[in-house]
Amino acid sequence: MSEVFTKSMARNIYFGGSVFFFLLFLALTYDTNRDLPNRDNRGAINEQVSLGKRVWEENNCIGCHTLLGEGAYFAPELGNVYTRFGNSTDAIVGFIKSRPAEGIPGRRSMPQFNLSDEELEAVAAFLKYSSEINTANWPPNVQG
Amino acid sequence: MNVLWPVQLQPDVNAIATPPAPRRVRDLPGDFAIWIFIYAELLVFGVFFLAYAFARAGNVELFNEHQQFLDRTTGAVNTLVLITSSLFAVRAVEAIRRGAAASCSRWLAMAVMSGGVFVVLKLIEFADKQEQGITLSTNTFYMFYLSLTFFHFMHVLMGMVILSAVAVKAYRGAYSASRHTGVETGASYWHMVDLVWIVLFPLVYVMH
Amino acid sequence: MQYQSQAVAKPYFIAAIGLFVGQILFGLIMGLQYVMGDFLFPEIPFNVARMVHTNLLIVWLLFGFMGAAYFLVPEEAERELHSPKLALALFWIFLIAGALTILGYLLVPYAGLAKMTGNHLLPTMGREFLEQPTITKLGIVVVALGFLYNIGVTILAGRKTVVNLVLLTGLVGLAVFFLFAFYNPENLVKDKFYWWWVVHLWVEGVWELILGSILAFVLLKVTGVDREVIEKWLYVIIAMALITGVIGTGHHFYWIGAPEYWQWWGSIFSAMEPIPFFMMTVFAFNMVNRRRREHPNQAAVLWALGTAVMAFLGAGVWGFLHTLAPVNYYTHGTQITAAHGHMAFYGAYVMIVLTIISYAMPILRGQKAGNRSAQVLEMWSFWFMTVSMVFITLFLTGAGILQVWMQRYSDAPMAFMVVQEKIELFYWMREVAGLVFLIGLIMYVWSFFVKGDERVVASAATA
Repeated sequence: MSEVFTKSMARNIYFGGSVFFFLLFLALTYDTNRDLPNRDNRGAINEQVSLGKRVWEENNCIGCHTLLGEGAYFAPELGNVYTRFGNSTDAIVGFIKSRPAEGIPGRRSMPQFNLSDEELEAVAAFLKYSSEINTANWPPNVQG
Repeated sequence: MNVLWPVQLQPDVNAIATPPAPRRVRDLPGDFAIWIFIYAELLVFGVFFLAYAFARAGNVELFNEHQQFLDRTTGAVNTLVLITSSLFAVRAVEAIRRGAAASCSRWLAMAVMSGGVFVVLKLIEFADKQEQGITLSTNTFYMFYLSLTFFHFMHVLMGMVILSAVAVKAYRGAYSASRHTGVETGASYWHMVDLVWIVLFPLVYVMH
Repeated sequence: MQYQSQAVAKPYFIAAIGLFVGQILFGLIMGLQYVMGDFLFPEIPFNVARMVHTNLLIVWLLFGFMGAAYFLVPEEAERELHSPKLALALFWIFLIAGALTILGYLLVPYAGLAKMTGNHLLPTMGREFLEQPTITKLGIVVVALGFLYNIGVTILAGRKTVVNLVLLTGLVGLAVFFLFAFYNPENLVKDKFYWWWVVHLWVEGVWELILGSILAFVLLKVTGVDREVIEKWLYVIIAMALITGVIGTGHHFYWIGAPEYWQWWGSIFSAMEPIPFFMMTVFAFNMVNRRRREHPNQAAVLWALGTAVMAFLGAGVWGFLHTLAPVNYYTHGTQITAAHGHMAFYGAYVMIVLTIISYAMPILRGQKAGNRSAQVLEMWSFWFMTVSMVFITLFLTGAGILQVWMQRYSDAPMAFMVVQEKIELFYWMREVAGLVFLIGLIMYVWSFFVKGDERVVASAATA
C-alpha cells in the first residue's frame, strides 16, 4: 500500500463531511422552525411589539444590555426585566423616561433617549413579549 | 516535537514520497484520512451514547415507559440487514484482493441494496412515529431516540453514496489486486456505520 | 515579490493596522467606562464606544483577509491578479464607507443615523455586530462580490492549489452567510436564530477556512516543508472544523427560545470544537520542527506558532469552558463570554492577520525579511500583546466567575449593578492589562519604521 494517506481522500472528507453536516444542520433547522410556534410567543406579536423591536434596535440598546443573554455585558439583562420590574410595563416606561441627560456622576447611567410616549409604550410591550418567550427557564433567577 | 504525539496518530509527514509509513498506520486498511473521519464519528457517537446513559440515569422510568413503544422487530431485522451488508462489503474487498473487479462491484452493489432495505424500513418507522405526532421535542427519550437514529440514518445514506461511487469505479476497472485502497476505504466506513448500529440498537431499543 | 499585482495588498495591510489602533483605543475607553461610569458621558456613551470597538475589529480583519488574499492568491495561482485596478478601487470604497460609518456612529445619535440612512425601508440595524446602516451592509456586499470576482477569476484561471481553493470556499462562505444580516424578522427568536448564521458560521465556520489557508501558506513559505503534506493536513483540519462547528452552532440556541434538544446537540458537537484547534497547534509546531530551511523572517514564524497556540487556548479551551449547556445556563451573557470572546478573536483572527502581514510586509517593501532590530522589536510586541491579552482574559474570567456566583448561583442572588461594583477590582486590572496591550501595539507599529543593518538580513537571506 504505497498511498496510505492521500490528498484526494482528505479533500473528499472535507467536501463530503461539510456537505453532510450542513445538511444535518438544515434538517435540525427545519425541525426547529416547526417547533418554534410552541415556544416563541409569536401570538403576542402585534404592531406595538413590532414597533417596540424597531425602537429597541434603532437606539442600539444591545450595545449595553443583554437580551436573552446576548449583547453587551455593561448593563442588566432585559429579557426578564418585565418580571423583575413586578410585571409592569409602566415601571419600564418610567425608568427609561427618568434617565438624567447628563448622567450620574461617577456611575454608569443609561442615556436619555427622548422617546415619544408611543415609542416608550412600544418598547415596554416588546420587553413584555420577550419575557414570555419559552427560554428553557433561563435566566436562573430574576436578577438576570 | 515527537513528544507532542503521545500516540503515533500521524504518519511520518515527510515520508510521503518515501514509504514506509509507521506500522500502525499501514496496518489500517484503506486511506488513513478516512480513519481520522471514522475516529471523529465514533467519538461523536460515543459522546452521544454517554449523554444518553447520563440522561437515562436521571429519568429511568420515562425511558423505560417509552422504550416499549419502539418497533423492536423492525430494529432487529435492520440489524441483520446491516450485518449482512457488512459481510457483502467484506466479500467485495476479498474479491478485489484476488483481482476480481466485476465480482467486487457486484458485492458492493449488494451491500448498497441492503443499505436501501435498511433505509426503507427506517423510513416506515419514522413515518409511523411522525403519524403519532412524536417529535424531537416530545420528551427526552424521544429526543434521543430520534436524534440518534436519524443521525445514524444519515450515515447509512452517506455510506451508500460512498459504496456506490466505489462500486462504479470498481466496475470501470479502476481497482486491481495491487491497487484497491479505495475499496478498503469505503468498506471501512461501511463497517463503522454497521458497528454504530450494533451498539445503538440494543442501547436505545432493548436495554431496560 | 513574485508578481507585481501582489502590491495591492499593501494598502489593505496598512489600513488594517491603522483601524486596529483605533479599535484598541476604543477598547481602552470602554474599559475605563466599566470602572468610571460617567467617563465621556454623554458624548461617547458605552454603546457607541462598543459599536466602534467591535465594528472596527470586523472591518480591519476583513481588510486583513482581503490583503492576505491579494498577496497569496497570485503567488499560489502563479499568475498576476485579474484586476489590480479593481482591487484598489474596492479598497478606497471600503475604506471610505467604513470611515463614514464609524464617523456616523460617533457624530450622530444612533437613532438619527437610522433615520438618515432609511433603516425603515429595510430594517437591519441595531443588532450586535450588525449595527451598520443597511446601506453600509449593501456596500459590504458590493465590495465582497467585486473582491470575490477578482480573486475567483484569478484562482480559476491559474494553478489550483489547495490553499487557494480552501481560501476561496472560505471567502464565498463569508459572503453567502453575510446575506443573513439582511433577514430581520419581527419574531425575536427567529431573528436571533438566523443572526447566528452570520456570526457563528463566520467565526466558527468559514473564517476558520480562511485562517487555515493563510496559516498553511505562511508555513509553506517559512518551513519549506513539502506542499503535499501541508495541504492534506489543511484539508483534514478544516474538515474537522466544519464537522464540529456547523452543528456546534447549537450552543447558541440553548436559551433564546429554540427547542431544548439544542442543549444536547450543541453540547455534544461543540465539545468537539477544540479538536481542530488542537490539531492546528500540533500541525504548526510539527511543520516548523521539520523545517527544511531557516527563513530569515523569524518574526513571521513566531506569529504563526503564536496563532496556533492562542487560537487553541482562546477558541478551544475558553470556548469549551462554558459551552456545555448546564454550565452555560449560569455563564451565558456574563464576563465569561467576554473573556472567551477576547482571547478567541485575538488568538485566531487578529494573530493570523498579523502573521500574514509580518510575512508579507517586508516582501512588499522589497526585502525578504525585516532587519534584525525591526524583527526584535516586532517579537517584543508579540509578547507584550499576547501576554497582556492572556491577562485580560484571566481578569475577565475572574470577574465572570464572581459575577456568576453572586448574581446567578448563590441562594440570595444580587442585582446586576450591585455585583458589577463588587468586581470592580478585576475591571481595573483588565484596564491596566489593556494599557500594556496598547504599549505592545505601539511597539508593533514602531517596528515598521526601525532602520537596521541591512547587510545582516542580506547574509541571512542567502543562508
